[in-house]
Amino acid sequence: MRGGDAAAAAEEGSPRSPDLHDLSDDSDYAAAAVATASDHTAMRTDSADAGSDETARIDVVYEKERVTIHPTQYGSARISGKLRLFLQQGSLFLSWEPNEGGGSLSTSSVTVEIDKYRNLYTIKALPLSDVRFIRRHTPTFGLDYIIIVLSSGLAFPPFYFYNGGIRELFATLKQHVFIIRSDDDPNVFLVNDFQDPLQKSLSSLELPGVASVANAMSRQNSLSFTGSVDETRHADDGSHGAASSMSQYSSKQKPKSNDPGRDLSIQVLEKFSLVTKFARDTTSSLFRDNIGSQAYRRQQHGYVLDNKASDKQKNQYITPEKDSIPSAPVESDPIPLVWGKQRDRPLSDEEWTTFLDPEGRVMDSKALRKKVFYGGIDHVLRKEVWKFLLGYHEYDSTYAEREYLTAMKRAEYEAIKSQWKSISATQAKRFTKFRERKGLIDKDVVRTDRSVPYYEGDENQNVVILRDILLTYSFYNFDLGYCQGMSDFLAPILYIMEDESESFWCFACLMERLGANFNRDQNGMHAQLLALSKLVEILDPPLHNYFRQNDCLNYFFCFRWVLIQFKREFSFEQILLLWEVLWTHYLSEHFHLYLCVAILKRYRQRIIGEQMDFDTLLKFINELSGQINLDRAIQDAEALCTIAGENGASCIPPGTPPSMPIETDGGLYVQQDEVL
Amino acid sequence: MASRRRMLLKVIILGDSGVGKTSLMNQYVNNKFSNQYKATIGADFLTKEVQIDDRLFTLQIWDTAGQERFQSLGVAFYRGADCCVLVYDVNVTKSFERLNNWREEFLIQASPSDPENFPFVVLGNKIDVDGGNSRTVSEKKAKAWCASKGNIPYFETSAKEGFNVEAAFECIARNAIKNEPEDDTYLPDTIDVGGAGRQQRSSGCEC
Repeated sequence: MRGGDAAAAAEEGSPRSPDLHDLSDDSDYAAAAVATASDHTAMRTDSADAGSDETARIDVVYEKERVTIHPTQYGSARISGKLRLFLQQGSLFLSWEPNEGGGSLSTSSVTVEIDKYRNLYTIKALPLSDVRFIRRHTPTFGLDYIIIVLSSGLAFPPFYFYNGGIRELFATLKQHVFIIRSDDDPNVFLVNDFQDPLQKSLSSLELPGVASVANAMSRQNSLSFTGSVDETRHADDGSHGAASSMSQYSSKQKPKSNDPGRDLSIQVLEKFSLVTKFARDTTSSLFRDNIGSQAYRRQQHGYVLDNKASDKQKNQYITPEKDSIPSAPVESDPIPLVWGKQRDRPLSDEEWTTFLDPEGRVMDSKALRKKVFYGGIDHVLRKEVWKFLLGYHEYDSTYAEREYLTAMKRAEYEAIKSQWKSISATQAKRFTKFRERKGLIDKDVVRTDRSVPYYEGDENQNVVILRDILLTYSFYNFDLGYCQGMSDFLAPILYIMEDESESFWCFACLMERLGANFNRDQNGMHAQLLALSKLVEILDPPLHNYFRQNDCLNYFFCFRWVLIQFKREFSFEQILLLWEVLWTHYLSEHFHLYLCVAILKRYRQRIIGEQMDFDTLLKFINELSGQINLDRAIQDAEALCTIAGENGASCIPPGTPPSMPIETDGGLYVQQDEVL
Repeated sequence: MASRRRMLLKVIILGDSGVGKTSLMNQYVNNKFSNQYKATIGADFLTKEVQIDDRLFTLQIWDTAGQERFQSLGVAFYRGADCCVLVYDVNVTKSFERLNNWREEFLIQASPSDPENFPFVVLGNKIDVDGGNSRTVSEKKAKAWCASKGNIPYFETSAKEGFNVEAAFECIARNAIKNEPEDDTYLPDTIDVGGAGRQQRSSGCEC
């Protein structure tokens, strides 16, 4: 008996528990259930595979066309597809497949772009046992949608129902798995909840079939976006045995010729192994570990952290090759050897003036960004150049235009600031949102970079300015408001700008790109962590497999890295350099994700060798703070970014921060009831 | 493997931003207080070896971000918790009023097997501030709430001065042990709480 049967049996045998708000309180659902059942019971479909046997037989119990993903965060681009629920071997699976080609509802030229990401979202067969809950959204205006949250904590992007069908979906779910409405939020439907006494007693019997209903399943394979039904079933079986070893795993993974990600991983492996041969004697080789598990064992010792020594070795090896290698175009060299360039000197005053025409326009912004990417900026120039990198000043603006803009923006800033400055104490008493927002900001500014001399000591005026800017920003962008982490972004900017209004506008520009990190539904963060997971999958398959086997695919251990772009991982001085490198968007807008991969690769030996579980890994990553060699990490990330190329870029859906969001009428930021 | 798991007690600290979660954890584990802790981003934990009735345990104390916006991360961090500590600032009424929200959110996201009896402990922190003159939530009110939620043990603490922190965490550890499946391990039905009488502010550990 498989999970679905067990759940169904549990349903039938279970009297309606009065204290649970299950679906039976909704007569519409009951009616819909009947309708769905009659629609679909006859629809018995064999698996698409020719020559499938009995075990591959699937029963589609729910099917809805025009269930659509809006891949850009706010955007107008859409991928329409088909959502299905099907039974296989008694277990319920969910699938979503995009329509082929012309099904896109996109109205603009981004269609082609979107097509690249089509397959990124495909869900071939998600066992319902992996689902923690489904949140239903039925806004008064706009389309109904659902968000599926997995037990691992990962969420799929929202599915919008253009043809309706949410009710039928839940009605069908209810027929096949144990699903109840949350007491606290009637729009949250908990799947596989164990509060029900019967369900609990079933699980305690440890019937083999029940196990697939239990959350235990989700420890395996929780990110099986592209896994076929077949693979999923294998994975399920594997999890009953205590450990599915690496070798078992790899035998399950059959390379699929039509899967671009898979192909790339092979290519990359080949490239890496070549580099490995080349660099065999350098202990700091970034890529050598990809050739197989023996490699880790061989170098278990002596790998770690000896940055200076290994850097020296690496440099000895790289320097003579440097000029001949990186510029070779990919086409003429089928297996390019790629290594990050050595870090350059920062942009100096003299060089800077050569970039400017007599009126002050930056003539070649790409060359400027390249220069900054490889070397950073001389400290005294940061105040000037950051304004371009952040987008506050246009590259083709003149001195005069910038001066004018500065004056205008100063007045505008003061106007916005006066909005909260004029709130009297009596008014504040009746303005909870303001009081609480201010309270939160007050709490955070006094604990932001206080060890930096600029913010040191009691009664520090710069801390007050930090507060004023953040509070003003929360009025400027009332929907987004204030969120923890923003003060981390602002402090270096104010330190460089030394001017309240200029800092505000630079910060506001940065938030145009990174505001989604702080959005209430955490969509921006989920998008980045998902992209990171995809990048590791193609750039370091063994590490990806390790994370998969150890239930680490949600990448929450990188949350802090991504949310505030490594602010807590490096010294204040280093952050100034790193951020200007990131802000160039020279190789990729998402260079920070490649940096994540680079650092993880650096420490993969320890992560895998010490068999770190999620908790240990989180702790380990947190404690890397202050230990990471920044220059080397940037070099590594550059190499990875170059190697991944287009395939890397296609792991990252459009609109993923810090890409510019696409504006719609509905506003940029998700609104919920939360006060702050 | 099984015995190692049993020795590890996972404790989650929740509460509004700035109520002192990080400070409490650091005071307990490192006997240190700093007013320069940064706002916690994501989550982190510290561990401490504790001896309870001649048995050694590893207390794994999880510190989380306090802003409501980050609550959705809980799914990953709350899993397998043995006890949940709810902290509020006795000088900030709102932080007290939100305890219920934190409690419910925890139960949803951690989905413990027996939510009715899952152990919580409530700490009213920062009682040192302004000599107690700025407090806005009375001990009586806090205790009444704790009683209404199934007699949650309640402690008043000062992470800054280290007041009552040790006693609170001992209670937390004992409650966490109670939550562990007993298996073949002998656990006495009643545990004498040595520390409870020592601190007058404590409402006592229910263990």
